[in-house]
Amino acid sequence: MTTMATPTKPVPDIEQAQYNPKSESVTAKRVKSGIFHAVALALTAVVLYPALWMIASSFKPNAEIGGANTSLWSENFSMDNFVTAMDGIGGVSTLTFFTNSLILAIGSVVGTILSASVSAYAFARIKFPGRSIFFGMMIATLLLPFHVVIIPQYIIFNQLGLVDTYVPLLIGKFLAGDAFFVFLMVQFMRNLPAELDEAARIDGAGHVRIFTAIMLPLMKPALISTSIFSFIWSWNDFLGPLLYLNTPDKYPLPLALRLFVDQTQSSDYGAMIAMSVLALLPVLVFFLVFQRYIVEGVSTQGLKG
Amino acid sequence: MINRRNFLTTVAIGTASAAALAACGTGSSTTAGETGSAESPVTINYTWWGNDDRATRTRKAIELFEAKNKDIKVNGNFTDFAGYWQKRATEAAGGGLPDVMQWDLSYLRDYGQRNQLLDLSTVKINTDAFEKSLLPSGQIKGKTYGIPTSTNAFAVYYNPEKLASLGIAEPDGSWNYKEFNAFLTEVGAKGNGALFGGTDYTGVWWMFNVWLRQNNIEAFTEDGKLGFTKDDLKKWWNLNSDLRGTPALISEERATQLAPKSPFGSNVTATEVTWDNFMAGYLADSGAKELKLVPVPSDDKDNLGLFLKPSMLMVASAKTKYKDAAARFIDFMVNDPEVGQIFKTSRGVPASKTQRDGTTFEGTDKLVVDYEKSIEKYLKDAPEPPIVGFGTLEASFKRISSDLNFGKVTVDGAADAWFKEAEDLIKQNA
Repeated sequence: MTTMATPTKPVPDIEQAQYNPKSESVTAKRVKSGIFHAVALALTAVVLYPALWMIASSFKPNAEIGGANTSLWSENFSMDNFVTAMDGIGGVSTLTFFTNSLILAIGSVVGTILSASVSAYAFARIKFPGRSIFFGMMIATLLLPFHVVIIPQYIIFNQLGLVDTYVPLLIGKFLAGDAFFVFLMVQFMRNLPAELDEAARIDGAGHVRIFTAIMLPLMKPALISTSIFSFIWSWNDFLGPLLYLNTPDKYPLPLALRLFVDQTQSSDYGAMIAMSVLALLPVLVFFLVFQRYIVEGVSTQGLKG
Repeated sequence: MINRRNFLTTVAIGTASAAALAACGTGSSTTAGETGSAESPVTINYTWWGNDDRATRTRKAIELFEAKNKDIKVNGNFTDFAGYWQKRATEAAGGGLPDVMQWDLSYLRDYGQRNQLLDLSTVKINTDAFEKSLLPSGQIKGKTYGIPTSTNAFAVYYNPEKLASLGIAEPDGSWNYKEFNAFLTEVGAKGNGALFGGTDYTGVWWMFNVWLRQNNIEAFTEDGKLGFTKDDLKKWWNLNSDLRGTPALISEERATQLAPKSPFGSNVTATEVTWDNFMAGYLADSGAKELKLVPVPSDDKDNLGLFLKPSMLMVASAKTKYKDAAARFIDFMVNDPEVGQIFKTSRGVPASKTQRDGTTFEGTDKLVVDYEKSIEKYLKDAPEPPIVGFGTLEASFKRISSDLNFGKVTVDGAADAWFKEAEDLIKQNA
């Protein structure tokens, strides 16, 4: 694969061009750009190979996946894996798993956007007693590993009778439980000129008005990166649903995917890979649609603060 | 990953003991628990690990049970094996274990000692049809925590087609270690790099356990200490030391490349030493038409060191409100012939004679059942439930013996390393 990176033009050309950049000829520029693209393509190929392997394997019979089989394409091309994957597991259709994943992901996005932006506004723009202490405490929760809180959280939700519902998975999102997003938005808001608020206040706007009419529209990049991240995180979350959901009808995709591979019995790698391909599609679409905002978002507020 | 899981378990144990202390204050419930009627049935939760196939079979069994027991509804749910234990650890700590659970032998002592499991001798479950030698494997200090659903035994698998293609005669299973090693060497020599004899069998804990029993040694003493010496372990790892690095045994490097499939499932080795209920998995992975089973090698013709191990058990939560319903469901799952007919050997060979006799076995299923029948006269008592932390010991046994296979350590160094880890772990859990 790396042979793709071999330059097609003789090397001395570039050396000449490097010695005297001002008189760089058109050919030299082309060579440079050609090399750049060849190297970029080669790197892309390396990075994308696992994805390619996954897609190719999804069309292979189970016995030809992994193990001693090293060829990418199989002669026994078939769609069987997709048929098995769409059949569902243990009487639950795959569509149900997709729907559940979507409910959880969209719920997370909506909850996080609503709660994190309001909390961030309070931290960034309202002076209330103990603000810095509360802010510090919020940041401290970022340092608390998820695994420390698993069991206390489980006990609380179990006693409230909320296990096997989506409440434990979503309630944190609606209560600004993701400190990372609050922090991200606070940093973003702090960079917005305070003169805007002051002008609005002179015109008689209160906090609600300032938040909805001034802050929200200006925060679009931060809101969009938050949506993308919380969508992807929720879509890929395994441990949360594993602990809190009991009924297979409520399982999201990551739980279902694991059920195809069972080392204690036979493993259907083909069906698992086919389902992984299908499970990737929504994230891919979501990412492609919002991709230009993510770049914009990261570049406008990424490393500031 | 392992660290995370260990951590979770540690937290779970801590919280569980706190919860257990707190529970002491509250009064005890009635012996039978709450019961239901056809009009207002009670609902028990049943959970298992496994794939789509098991889910379908289990659902069928549950439907059958509900049809026969109108006063009980069973709410079934399932996850994959790794997730299953993460979930149980959290539930145990949070006091929310399901009423009835499918269980693995290596976790029995852990949960049993922490009083998370119901003593099944206090409820009505019929165990008359079970081999008397099998039941102790579900018992700890006089309490019955698990009832085996099914059994498995150790065996040597081979691929007859591969052997035929090399012109090697099929083994009949009456061999000692020297003959077994010679067989592996012959396959490796004729296999010409495309086919190896087998994986390094001295890296398999349970095969070591079988060998210990061939020498009349128990792996663990009753009080949870090691029953063998460092010299025993050295002797074991030296059994095939001249084979390592030759085509008789697949190199650890190559085996890692094949993961997650096994070398045998990938058609790269001609034999594999493991449990007899892996048959279906190997058939699916390799795409082979036929695989066969023969007994393990032994230097003592009359003592093969073999035993039946519960491949899976049924347990109930100590906190279940429906002891009677849970007991009836467990009894049904382990004894009913129709349940046997549903599962065949997908859980292992049915442990209860009633269930085994009521099931017709064909094809692969028959091979496994016949194998267990053929070794019947050699079978000894099942070992006690493994000590707490056994999973870690088994994993380090595998890891250290792969270092051995890689040539990174000497046999003496490997034995020292494993003994240190094992003694530390036993001290920790004592």
